[in-house]
Amino acid sequence: MTDIQPRAGMGLAVAAAAMLAVAGAGAFWYATQKNAAATRDQAADMTVSVGAKTCEPMDITVPGGRRSFEIVNASDRPIEWEILDGVMVVAERENIAPGFRQTLAVQLAPGDYAITCGLLSNPRGTLHVTPSDEAAASASEVTLRKFLGPLSEYRVYLVMQSNAAVKAAEKLRDAIAAGDLGAAQAAWKAARIPYRHVEPLAWRLSDLENAIDPNAAYLAGREDDPDFTGYHRLEYGLFRQNSTEGLAPIADRLVADLDQLSGRLKAMELDPQLLVALPGAMAGQLATAHVPAGENHYAGNDLEELEASLDGIGKLSGLLRGVVAGVDPALDKDIGAAQDKVAADLAGLRQGGAWPPYDQVADDRRRQLAGSLAGLQTALDRLQPVIGIN
Amino acid sequence: MIATFLRSTALGLTFAGAAWAADPSLDLVGPLSDYKIFVAENTAQLVTDTEALVAAIKAGDVEKAKSLFAPTRTSYERVEPIAELFSDLDVSIDARADDYEKAEKDEAFTGFHRIEYGLWEEKSTEGLDLYADKLLADVTDLDGRINALTFPPEVVVGGAAVLMEEVAATKISGEEDRYSRTDLWDFKANFEGSEKIYTLFRPLIEAGNADFVAKVDGNFKAVDEVLAKYRTPDGGFVSYDELTDSDRTMLSAKVNTLAEDLATLRGKLGLG
Repeated sequence: MTDIQPRAGMGLAVAAAAMLAVAGAGAFWYATQKNAAATRDQAADMTVSVGAKTCEPMDITVPGGRRSFEIVNASDRPIEWEILDGVMVVAERENIAPGFRQTLAVQLAPGDYAITCGLLSNPRGTLHVTPSDEAAASASEVTLRKFLGPLSEYRVYLVMQSNAAVKAAEKLRDAIAAGDLGAAQAAWKAARIPYRHVEPLAWRLSDLENAIDPNAAYLAGREDDPDFTGYHRLEYGLFRQNSTEGLAPIADRLVADLDQLSGRLKAMELDPQLLVALPGAMAGQLATAHVPAGENHYAGNDLEELEASLDGIGKLSGLLRGVVAGVDPALDKDIGAAQDKVAADLAGLRQGGAWPPYDQVADDRRRQLAGSLAGLQTALDRLQPVIGIN
Repeated sequence: MIATFLRSTALGLTFAGAAWAADPSLDLVGPLSDYKIFVAENTAQLVTDTEALVAAIKAGDVEKAKSLFAPTRTSYERVEPIAELFSDLDVSIDARADDYEKAEKDEAFTGFHRIEYGLWEEKSTEGLDLYADKLLADVTDLDGRINALTFPPEVVVGGAAVLMEEVAATKISGEEDRYSRTDLWDFKANFEGSEKIYTLFRPLIEAGNADFVAKVDGNFKAVDEVLAKYRTPDGGFVSYDELTDSDRTMLSAKVNTLAEDLATLRGKLGLG
């Protein structure tokens, strides 16, 4: 909490003395209030006086854009003043002593906000921010700064999910080493989920991809090919041959390769252009390859993996929609609608609350799902000209 | 299309490094994401530690609960700049009695400090079960919300100074943990949280700011040395009452200087 020593009935002089009694803190206080005094000369858009029970005014309306508020503490205890969007703090000024004033400048998007007024039990005021040219211009501006949050969040996701992929593969390896077929089959399915989450970027690292996720259909010797390694080689052993025999070295190698993948993803330099390209490309790959042909030919659990892939795409598109929403609201909406369509198609394939094996999914249903995914790709690919870099 | 072209050109220049130095750089992505991982580790620890605190309270073990109170809080205090973005949880987890009309007797007074009041002032776990359950539910909620949050870059970088300003304004006075006098634990955690942010971004600024970096490094070290004097053999801290006036003055001065210096980080990183 950030409130400072408020004590009912404490007068201004006493409060100031108490502050100054702590030497260093007093000096800081002085500096803070001096700064506040210096900025006071620049007229604020709005002055808000916070009394013992309410703010004056309690209901504020300002046009969107960068707005400044001069907060006057007219109560007898130190206060903080906050602008809230739901439960989230948009901006705050802390530590305003009784009798003092501070200025808060903040970029405000149109909408309804709440303002705090002293004690937690005091009623909150309202702040209405109306649409304005200034707010529209700032929302539609595409800057590197707007990408910093999304890029950082995606890097966190890559680190977390690729670590989870390593841990899940270790569990799979242990089940194989113990010769427990049932546990290994379950562990294999679980191990695929975090991998599908990072696949939009992971599949671009072709050397690792060829060791981690090769498909027998693309190898000269098919299942007998010495290059048939990774997840699907284990899948072949566990679900087609129904045995853990001979799989231990392949599982060891998978763990090592995923460990390397995790390090490479962590070290990768992300930029806006890459981020914008990832979700559409992944949707396209699902539409043209995975959905028509299937990928898990021995385990047949393609549908649960498609759901995981959609989560991975959704993480990316959610971050990018935050950037595009102010620039091209219609595109933001279109992406949302295309995602809903894919999710609905996929959900329609569930039977009795479970995913059926993929060989039971009829061709026309596969075509429908592929079509929806192609639609999602089309919508996502429109991000590039709007917020990408040519 | 012209607008798009202009935008793209402007971005292109930024990426090429041709724009002015105060523009934010893609180099921020690494430290920003590392910071979120640090915060997520702390909130996960907060949930684990709170579970143990709740168990001690429910077992009626006052001494055990008291011994867990301060260490449990440190994970919250380290990440406060982000945690306090969620105003509802900040209130229910960490508000003080002063924030309420009826102070300690106010029904809305919950969280760490309500539990602290019960354990130290009322010397009992009686009636604390509900507060303990609520605290665990709140920190679990916080952990989930933080994991789902895209951290605003300016809040992350600004957090280094915010933590020091808080220490200066509301902690040096010893009001935070007024019943338990465990304030030095919170101090240490606030410093660690601030220093973590500073350390993550230091590589991006040290080239052109050798004096600044040397000064901030020195002040963090000085604070560490003062706090180290008050360590107990088991890794904890003595009561805040034992802090000497001269050390309090020294800490206070360092905190103020750190707050002022760290407040320039945003500008230095193009996030002003």
